[in-house]
Amino acid sequence: MTYGKTLLAVFSDLDPAADAIEHLRSLGVHDDCMNVISGIPVTEAMLGRPSQWTNVPRLAGGGAVAGFIIGIFLALIAPDMYQIQVGVQAYVPGPPSVVVIFEMTMLGMLLSTFLGVFLDSYFPSYRPMKYVTEVSDGKIAILIECPGVDEKIITDAMMKLGAESVRPAEAQHL
Amino acid sequence: MASKEQTNPHEKHLSHEQQLREKHLMLDPLPRGQMNDMVMESMYTTSWKFWAVFAVLSAIVAYGLFYSWGKMIAEGLGIAGVNRPVYWGIFLVNTVFWIGISHAGTFISAILRVFKAEFRRPFTRAAELMTTFGLVQAGFSIFMHLGRVWLAYWLMPYPNQRGLWPNMHSPLSWDLLAITTYLLSSTMYLFLPLIPDLAMARDRTQDGWRKTFYKVLALGFRGTEGEWTHLRNAMNIFAFAIIPVMFSVHTIVSWDFAAATRPGWNSTIFGPYFVVGALHSGMGAVAIVLVVVRGTMKNMKYFIRAEHFDGLGKLMLIVSMAWAYFFFNDYMVQWYGGDKWTKQLLHFHESGPMGWMWFAMLICNIVVPWLILWNSKWRSTPWLIFVVGLIINVGMWFERYIIIPISLTINRMPFTWRMYHPGVEIPLGIGTLAFFILLYMAASRLIPLVPVWEVQEGQMAHSLKKFGRETVVTVSELE
Amino acid sequence: MATNLKVPVYGNLAEEQAGKWGMTIDMDVCTGCQACVAACAMENNISFVGEVDSGYGRSMHWIRIERFWEGTYPEVKMTSFQPMLCQQCGQAPCEPVCPAFATVHSVAESINLQVYNRCVGTRYCANNCPYQVRSFNWRDYVRPEPLPNQLNPDVTVRRRGVMEKCSFCIQRIHKAEDLAKSESREVRDGEFTTACAQACPADAIVFGRIDNPDSLVSQLASLDRGVKHLEELGTLPIVTYLKGG
Repeated sequence: MTYGKTLLAVFSDLDPAADAIEHLRSLGVHDDCMNVISGIPVTEAMLGRPSQWTNVPRLAGGGAVAGFIIGIFLALIAPDMYQIQVGVQAYVPGPPSVVVIFEMTMLGMLLSTFLGVFLDSYFPSYRPMKYVTEVSDGKIAILIECPGVDEKIITDAMMKLGAESVRPAEAQHL
Repeated sequence: MASKEQTNPHEKHLSHEQQLREKHLMLDPLPRGQMNDMVMESMYTTSWKFWAVFAVLSAIVAYGLFYSWGKMIAEGLGIAGVNRPVYWGIFLVNTVFWIGISHAGTFISAILRVFKAEFRRPFTRAAELMTTFGLVQAGFSIFMHLGRVWLAYWLMPYPNQRGLWPNMHSPLSWDLLAITTYLLSSTMYLFLPLIPDLAMARDRTQDGWRKTFYKVLALGFRGTEGEWTHLRNAMNIFAFAIIPVMFSVHTIVSWDFAAATRPGWNSTIFGPYFVVGALHSGMGAVAIVLVVVRGTMKNMKYFIRAEHFDGLGKLMLIVSMAWAYFFFNDYMVQWYGGDKWTKQLLHFHESGPMGWMWFAMLICNIVVPWLILWNSKWRSTPWLIFVVGLIINVGMWFERYIIIPISLTINRMPFTWRMYHPGVEIPLGIGTLAFFILLYMAASRLIPLVPVWEVQEGQMAHSLKKFGRETVVTVSELE
Repeated sequence: MATNLKVPVYGNLAEEQAGKWGMTIDMDVCTGCQACVAACAMENNISFVGEVDSGYGRSMHWIRIERFWEGTYPEVKMTSFQPMLCQQCGQAPCEPVCPAFATVHSVAESINLQVYNRCVGTRYCANNCPYQVRSFNWRDYVRPEPLPNQLNPDVTVRRRGVMEKCSFCIQRIHKAEDLAKSESREVRDGEFTTACAQACPADAIVFGRIDNPDSLVSQLASLDRGVKHLEELGTLPIVTYLKGG
């Protein structure tokens, strides 16, 4: 009887994988203990999994605000602090300020979206991780981290539902 | 849809369904592993011809870009062709040209994604690479035209003891912010969908510098639910947000001219006119690049098919019509308006020493696309759409030449009117073109050019369905 | 306040103190002799560009004499000679477009300033000038010996990549103002003048305080013959041209 061993079940099709997840849930494996690693973005809904939480939109919004503030500084505050007369335009010109504030807002938003992906996914990460290279060939791998159920039961169930392979997951350098 | 006229006798025995599968990449799925293999193979395969072209281009870049620019920095802009009154010449023409080319990449990867145009899938990355590399050339061209380029950092906002910030009244400052934003955004937007493909390349490489390269750049991506969620979310935000950035960039570039007092420049329609012009030349450039990629790289004939050139050709035709609309708007209103200097300018455009360029521009930008691109079969022919794309780009380069050096010749002080004769701008411009091609060639052998995961995603979503007696293509919305 | 100390001050404090400078050019008496062009070049250390570059439109002269004619030889009818220099516009189109703040407006002195050591050489200002009076240093032009001895120590020598233009001989303005303030008086009308006005044998160019209604330049500027070039553009040029004939 071996509990608590991390297993990796590899499926090549969507339907068997979805069935497998349902079956695992019925066996008593909690949703938090499962993770799906796939080569294409199958949505959580397709597999019957709960939606993932992501901070990226929030970070994008925060970045937009930060960019907005920098734009306000460049367009409104700096020319007001250091007043230089050019043409007959006011020290703080109207339409140019709109342009500057817009560009800096967009820059802030997009930079923080990009960095948000890094932050949320803990990129870059070069530690050894549980993975199989078949995943990038389009397979769907189910990582079962804390089974709480006998390893053999899971293995049999997965193979019966059409898994290509079920093996212990070992952290390896990618 | 395959119609009776389009099938050749050999194909008549193929069923309607088989014809659809041959025509549409999305209906012709291969196992993911096999597609991965094909993409990796096209990346690794280089012939002696590749290296010969690479060497020639490197030589051109070394002389045309680095040596000539160094000479110009040492001797001053005197070796270029600019003078009074034509203070801006080919450097600005090239800057606008390259920024224009870069817009097509964003159009295809962002706008087509937002509108769920599925035919974009195999070539979004090829187009997006054009954006990044085009902006690099635009950056070169704009820095080249500065009189004291070693002090260019004064144009950036940073606190200093003189209390001087960049002048936000100036369209050139807006240019700096906009182009920086666009360059960073499009590079990030190029990189995000590239991560899964870099992971694939990492998984299929065992050792050597390539393994380290892919391992480092893939950031440890595995494809977990969390990673895909964050990635998809970010790509959605990027796709929507980069569209206004794209529009704003070329509009701001157009305001370099529209905000000036010169006759012919102070036109309120320059904003949308330039954006559409950018799309026009950009689409043509995408066609050129795709034909070359498909013809020279292994296995690309599976991914890039006649249907993609058909879709691209339709877009090129529509944009050509839009360009003609904006051009005529600008021209008709100036012609009618009666300002004597603008009238002189228009007369100079058409019947001056460079009048041939004006007519050539109209033929290249309007006549040629309209004569050829209406026909679906012609649109789908790679060599023909290559030629049309090339002609469009020549026409659009002429358009910018007319707007900048030729229009600057005519101003309100006739005593100063003088023609412009380019000097060192020519090797420098050719150098930027060679550098663009060089960067592209290097990238095509370093990163997977086709986003295989996006192709597979699309193939998952497409299916054939029978409606009554007819078999049609259906696309499901997977997100 | 520094005003009581009667020492010259510049910058924001000078706003209330400096005088506004203007010019009139009488096209009726201008003979087109180009003495003003030569004097300006000597006073302001303008480079010698040479025949080839000059012919290509790269002459560096801050003032030029424009001549026009009608008809073909031998029935040629000349118009007046038109000296063209920086109009020191009140609403200068060159000023807002410089991204480096290298050309700014002196509200007090009512002239347009060119800051050589800030110029990065984008040349947007030159494109935007409707009078096309700005000169760009396309090269480092050579001054063969012993010409460097002739350089005016009050004026910077510009290097390649920098824009320049007529400054209303600001070095002479400041020298005169310094002298006047040290003697606790105002600058007298005619006490000094610009190089071009000084050299003109026909006295076609008159320079002085345009905010003083009694000065010669103000009186000339208010004549009926006075016109301003390209007035319809709204640049508010401060140079008044007196029409011929």
